[in-house]
Formats: sequence, C-alpha cells, structure tokens
Amino acid sequence: MLRAVRTLAWGLAALAAAVPLLTANTYYLFLAGLIGAGVVVGTGLNILAGNSGQVSLGHAGLYAIGAYTGAILATRLGVGFWVSLPAAAVVSGAVGTLLAMPALRVTGPYLAMVTIAFGIIVEHGLIEWETLTRGFGGIADIPKPHLGSLPLALPQYYYVVGAAVVASLFLARNLARSPWGRALAAVRESEVAAESLGLSPTLARTTAFALSAAFAGAGGCLYAYLTQFVSPDSFTFETSILFLLIVLFGGLGRVAGPLIGSIVLMVLPEALQQFSNYRLILYGLLLLGSIYFLPRGMAGAIEAWLARFRHLVPGGEGEPAAPTPAVHPEALEARGVRMAFGGLQALADVNLAVAPRSIHSLIGPNGAGKTTLLNILSGYYRPTGGVVRFAGRELQGRPPHRIARGGISRTFQTTQLFEEMTVLENVQVGLAGPRLGGLGSALLGRRTVAAREVALRAEALGLLAFVGYTGSPHERARNLAFGHRRLVEIARALAARPALLLLDEPSAGLAAAEIEGLGQLIRRVREAGIAVLLVGHHMELVMEVSDRVTVLDYGRVIAEGPPGQVQTDPAVLEAYLGIA
Amino acid sequence: MYLQLIISGVALGSMYSLVALGFNLTYATSRTVNFSQGQSVMVGAVVAYAAYVQWGWPLPAAVALSLAALAAFGILVERVAVRPFFRAASIAWLLSTIAVGIIAENVAMVTFGKDARAFPSSLTAHPLMLFGAGVYPQELLLPVAGLGLMLGVEAALRRTLFGKTLRAVAFSHEAAALMGINVNRTIAACYGISSALAGVAGILIAPILNVSATMGTIIGLKAFAVAIIGGIESPAGIMTAGILYGVFESLVAGAFGTGGREILGFGLVILVLALRPWGLFGTPAVRRV
Repeated sequence: MLRAVRTLAWGLAALAAAVPLLTANTYYLFLAGLIGAGVVVGTGLNILAGNSGQVSLGHAGLYAIGAYTGAILATRLGVGFWVSLPAAAVVSGAVGTLLAMPALRVTGPYLAMVTIAFGIIVEHGLIEWETLTRGFGGIADIPKPHLGSLPLALPQYYYVVGAAVVASLFLARNLARSPWGRALAAVRESEVAAESLGLSPTLARTTAFALSAAFAGAGGCLYAYLTQFVSPDSFTFETSILFLLIVLFGGLGRVAGPLIGSIVLMVLPEALQQFSNYRLILYGLLLLGSIYFLPRGMAGAIEAWLARFRHLVPGGEGEPAAPTPAVHPEALEARGVRMAFGGLQALADVNLAVAPRSIHSLIGPNGAGKTTLLNILSGYYRPTGGVVRFAGRELQGRPPHRIARGGISRTFQTTQLFEEMTVLENVQVGLAGPRLGGLGSALLGRRTVAAREVALRAEALGLLAFVGYTGSPHERARNLAFGHRRLVEIARALAARPALLLLDEPSAGLAAAEIEGLGQLIRRVREAGIAVLLVGHHMELVMEVSDRVTVLDYGRVIAEGPPGQVQTDPAVLEAYLGIA
Repeated sequence: MYLQLIISGVALGSMYSLVALGFNLTYATSRTVNFSQGQSVMVGAVVAYAAYVQWGWPLPAAVALSLAALAAFGILVERVAVRPFFRAASIAWLLSTIAVGIIAENVAMVTFGKDARAFPSSLTAHPLMLFGAGVYPQELLLPVAGLGLMLGVEAALRRTLFGKTLRAVAFSHEAAALMGINVNRTIAACYGISSALAGVAGILIAPILNVSATMGTIIGLKAFAVAIIGGIESPAGIMTAGILYGVFESLVAGAFGTGGREILGFGLVILVLALRPWGLFGTPAVRRV
C-alpha cells in the first residue's frame, strides 16, 4: 500500500511537470502559478504556525512586501527576476524579524492582534506611500522574467515556479528533521520545558518569524512576476485568511500540507465560479470544517490512514548508556534566599548546599515552598533576595535557558513533555540543547546534519535504556502511560548533560514497583557523577536514597542533615505530625 | 476644528468601548473572545436598517428585533464555534469565530447588497453649533448612550444574581459548577449579551458611518485593540482606552487622513503590546511553572 501511494505521488509529480506540454491554455498555467506562489507562502506560514505554533493573521503583509520589492526593483531600478527573488526574501525576512519583536511577548489572541495590525499597516502603507508604491492603482508594468536574453513566457515561468515549490518543500522538510525543527516544535509544545533544556524561546520564535517571512517574500515576488501587476487589493486581511486556510486545511505542521491546501483553495473558487459571490461563505465553511473534522488537515488525515500500514518499531533497541555530565561535578549553594509573592512570604532566608555527586532531598509539608525554591534554582522565578551560586557563578536573575546551559536541568511536578513529538525526539531535543548547528545546513539537509542525527539517535536510545524506559521510542509522548512519562522526562533532562539534576516530586502518582525503580535510577544518576536535588513526598524513597535532607516548613529551613538525624528531629515531627 | 474632531472621536471611541466590553465579558468567563464581534456590529445595523427603512417598522420595534437577532447570533457563535474548543488549549476558537464572522459578512453581502446605505436619523439632519464647532446631535448621543449602557451593565453585574453567577464562573469553572451553576449557559449568555452590546453600537453608529455589509470588520478589530490596550480584564480600562483611542484616531485622521489613521492607530496597538502586553490598565499575570 505504501508503495502504491508513493508511485501515485511520483506519477502526480510527473504529470505536474508535463502540464505546459499538455496544454497551452494560459488560464490553466496562470492558475498553476497562483497555486505555486500559494505553496511557497503556505510553506513559510506552516513553519511559523505549524512548527513553532504562532498563528499569523497578517501574512498578506509580508507577501505584499515581497511582491512590491520585486515590482519596484524591476520597474524603478531595472533589476531582473533572479536578483529580485532573493532580495524579496531578504527584505521580507528582515521585516518579519522586526515583527517578531512585539510578537515574542504575546500568544493566542494577542499575537493574532499584532499580526492583524501589521497586515493592516502594510495594506494602508501601500496605499499611502504613493511615491514608492503608486498608491491605489498599483504597479502595472512589471516586465517578464528573463533567462539570459530569453524572456520567460507562462509555459517557461511555470517551471520557475515549480522549481520554487520543490525547493520550498525540500527546505521545509529538512528543517523539520533537524535540531532546529525540533527546537521550534519544543518551544511550541512547552516553552517552559524547552527553556529547561537550554533553548532560548526568543531565538526559536524569531527564527521562525524570519524564515516564514522570507518564504512569504519569495512567494510575493513569484506572484508579482506572474501577474506582472501588483496593487493593494491583493494584500488584504482576506488574503491573510486564505493563506492560513491553505495551511490549516492542508495540514498544520505537515510538509505536504500547503501543497494540498493551495491546490484545493486556489482551484475550488475557480471551479465554482458561478458562485463567486459566495466565496467568503466557502472559506468560512472550509475553515470551520477543517477545525471540526480535520484537526491535522488533509495531509494529517492521509498520514493517519497510511500509518495503518506501517508498524511501530518495538523498544529496547539501544544499549543502556550512562549519561555524561557536561561539566565537572559542581556544588550548588543557595544563601539567604527570599521570595515574596505580593504580601505572601513564600521563602524566608533559605540556605541550601548540595554537594557534588550527592543526592540531596528537599522535603516539607504542602505549601512549604519546595517547588518555589526549585523554580528559583532553575531560573523561572527571580528571588526577592539572596544568592544562588553554582560552578562559581551567581545564578539568581539569569533566565532559565542560561542556567540550563550552565549545567542544571530539571523535571516538573506535572510532567512537561513535548506531547506531539515522539519519545525519541523528546530526548533528542535535550541532547542537542542549544547546540542547533547552522540554520543553513539544517535547511539544505547537509550531510553533517544527517550524520549528527544518527549519533543523536543512538545516544538518545542509550539514555532511554539507562532510565529503564521499555516502550517504543517512536510513540508520541501524548500517548504514554504516566510512569513512562516520568522516565522519558528524566531521560530528557539527563540528555542536557547536567551536573545537577532537579527532580520535582518524581514519585507522585507512581506505583510501588515504579518507585523502587525510580530509587535505583536516582542512585545510578549519582554514580554517573551527577548531583540530584530531589523534591519528594514519598518518605521511604527520600530516606532510602538521600545523602542529606533539608526540611522546609512555611518557607523556612527547620532541619538539615543526614536522613537518620532528620527523621528524629523534633521540629520535623512537629511540622509533619503536629507532635513535639 | 479640534473640538469637532475631539467630539467625533469621543463619539466613535465610546462605541469601540461598548463593543470591547463584550470582549471583556466573554474573556472573563471563558478565556475566549468572539472574533466576529465586528460582524455583530454590522448585523445590528443591517437588521435595524432592513426593519426600519425597508419594512417600515417603527424604530423601537426595529431596534428590538435587531437586538433579539444579535443575542441569538451570539449564543449561536458560542454553541458552534467556541464551546467545542474550550478544552483544547489552542486558538481553534479564534479561527472558528473568524470563520463565522466571514460567513455572516458574506450572507449580509448577498442579502443586503454590496453598497453602503445612509441610515436616516433626525439626529443627523442638522448640525448644532457648539463653541464654533459643527456637531451632529447623534455624536452627542453616542457617548451618553454608550457610557450609560456600560455603567448600567456594570451596575447590573454587581447587583444581580446573574452578575454573581458570572463572577463565580470567571473565578473558577469547577467551583461554580459545584455550586450548581450551569457554566455553559452562563458563558452562552455572556456571548449573547456581548453580541447585543455590539449590535447597539452598530445601530447607534449607523446614522454616522452608513450601513454596509463590510462595515464591521475594522470596527471589530479596533474594539479588540481597545480591549487589549485597556486591559481585557478591566472594564474601566476598556472604557477609558476606547475614548482615548477614538480621540487619538480622530485627531490623526484630521492631520494625516484616513490611511494615516489606520497606520498610526494599529502601530500604537503593536507598540502597547510590545511594551505592556497586559494593557495600559491591566496587571501582568504571574507565570506558572
């Protein structure tokens, strides 16, 4: 079945390549050109909305900037198509990078507002800046593109657009398979977890915006040379919705999505021309329909159907490989840490020292401030006062991804896996961490990237075996059972090669046998040279594995010492049992 | 000249506030907003025009019909485009409400026609002279009616049982449901009220801006901008921001024309979101890990 589908796909590609030989009808070739420009823009929007999870409702603005760059370069400066195309991508990419700045701090409806506002500003800018854009009337005398001295008429230009489509899909596919693609997806799935692995969400988001805008710009230039005429009418809010619809209907985050989406969305209105007054109703219904019935679009539906013919590789492929700490074993020291949320004093003068290669537990009744302290140590909270020192550097006030790069990684009380990624990919994100390699190499699918992928895979499988994960490494994280989620999260944290691993209540919700395995795992981690700070509720586990224990109550340290000593401390007994 | 611009800015701005208050209501109770609010404004104006001008109904009956239609429209939007997507931590509801909006716009285009039509009102027949500025009485009615309605809604929410229910739902769906409150029905009611408020704005604005199928989109976007600038959870912030935005864009339009108005207006929105994403009058949310 898979082979039949592949043959069909190649057959369709061959047919597409033969279109100008089969028909000289300029209307069909023009429509094909529109589809091609739609695929290029849609592929870019897919990188932004699908891979990095930021929906843009203003892509028509970036498309317009590409189209006008091409048009103005051609009509004012006599610059040819082959220079204009990359120039349009660069100009739009630069504007997209600027747009990323206000967009970075906001999500959901707020991000929608920023992108909508951007689109409207560009649309009106095209009308108002008449000296450059010729206002309402637009720019009409765009010449045909030339190859050498040969003018490219529609049948030849068809192949230019076709090449751009193939190139876009190729770049998008390579990106998705590279550490860069996984970094974008990681930030989309859980920003908090991505930061804990040393990834900068700012960098990931900005990159997605810049790339996406560059594709939109190139698509715009292709469009300008196709129609040989650009005017503000073509770049409205409705155009932005059309692009988004291409991506959503085709399949968000699927490389083939924009291809399917663009073909359907460009052909359908033409096929239903007698109903042209109802175009928006058609768009609206398609949008509703894709959200209701095709959450992963046409491409996702086809993929799910094909998956029935494919079998998941069973687990246990890797040899257990102990994680290697990136830096030398280091001691963590926190002095006088204070944290206030408004009037609530969550931590008051907390001191904590975690020795290298040791297991240190942090216990205390609910609300004692354990997780707050962990969040300070890993950079998610900025303490109101006090000093945190690790590896000779002060950490307080640094962003989480910087702290993670310094050798501290963590897990979360409610596991924060990258749900839509496979188990293997989750660990690979940790392994690559901030070392994403060159963006260009990732896009072009260079051999070095592929070779590194093989190495990362092997290492990830080794880590999964080390933590005792027995499921399939190719299972999506969202399908995992609870115990497996914990193990994968620990493997991912270890993948970042920490010198100190912070575990936030890893035993919560685990069965007795799983807790025993967890205890053994924590010891193995220490043997690998990594210090562990364990926040725990499960006393048996804590007392069994810990070298030292710190007890918090109401934001203060009430006891500190070896497990045996802490267990009999009267202050601890009082806090836990209410007896002195 | 300036006085005239300021008065029409206040008038239009109070309408943005009125529409934006609808965003506040639905956001507070469900963390979602209706991106077809702009089309609600349009539907309000179009239905009132059809009943009043084309069918010759008396104005109060036309207004009543329009508002009833809008309440139903809001509840429908909630049912088909929002409720199925509550649980999904996605923005599916954002896209689906946009979809409903563009469908509504197209339906209006087909039934009402593409042209803009003047909404007759005795309050726009003759301008009044006020300190040397020519002002339509309608422009004076708008802020009075708008602010009055907003204050009325706020007071009602503070005094009535429904208001308490609404605040309970805003605080916690689970806790409200445990107290026997029908959370879904409360949210649906908020959508109904929010669309009706937008409809009032549409009817009030119609004599000034003319009625057309496409009149809603930009008003809806500006109202959402106002909700964000003011802080979407702060009704007082929204009222203030709406008036300020209206005056700002009126003055900008006077100086640079309508194109400059949109460019600077939406530029301001981006600037506010870049510097204070929680709005001028809102408070930032604490990050949860």
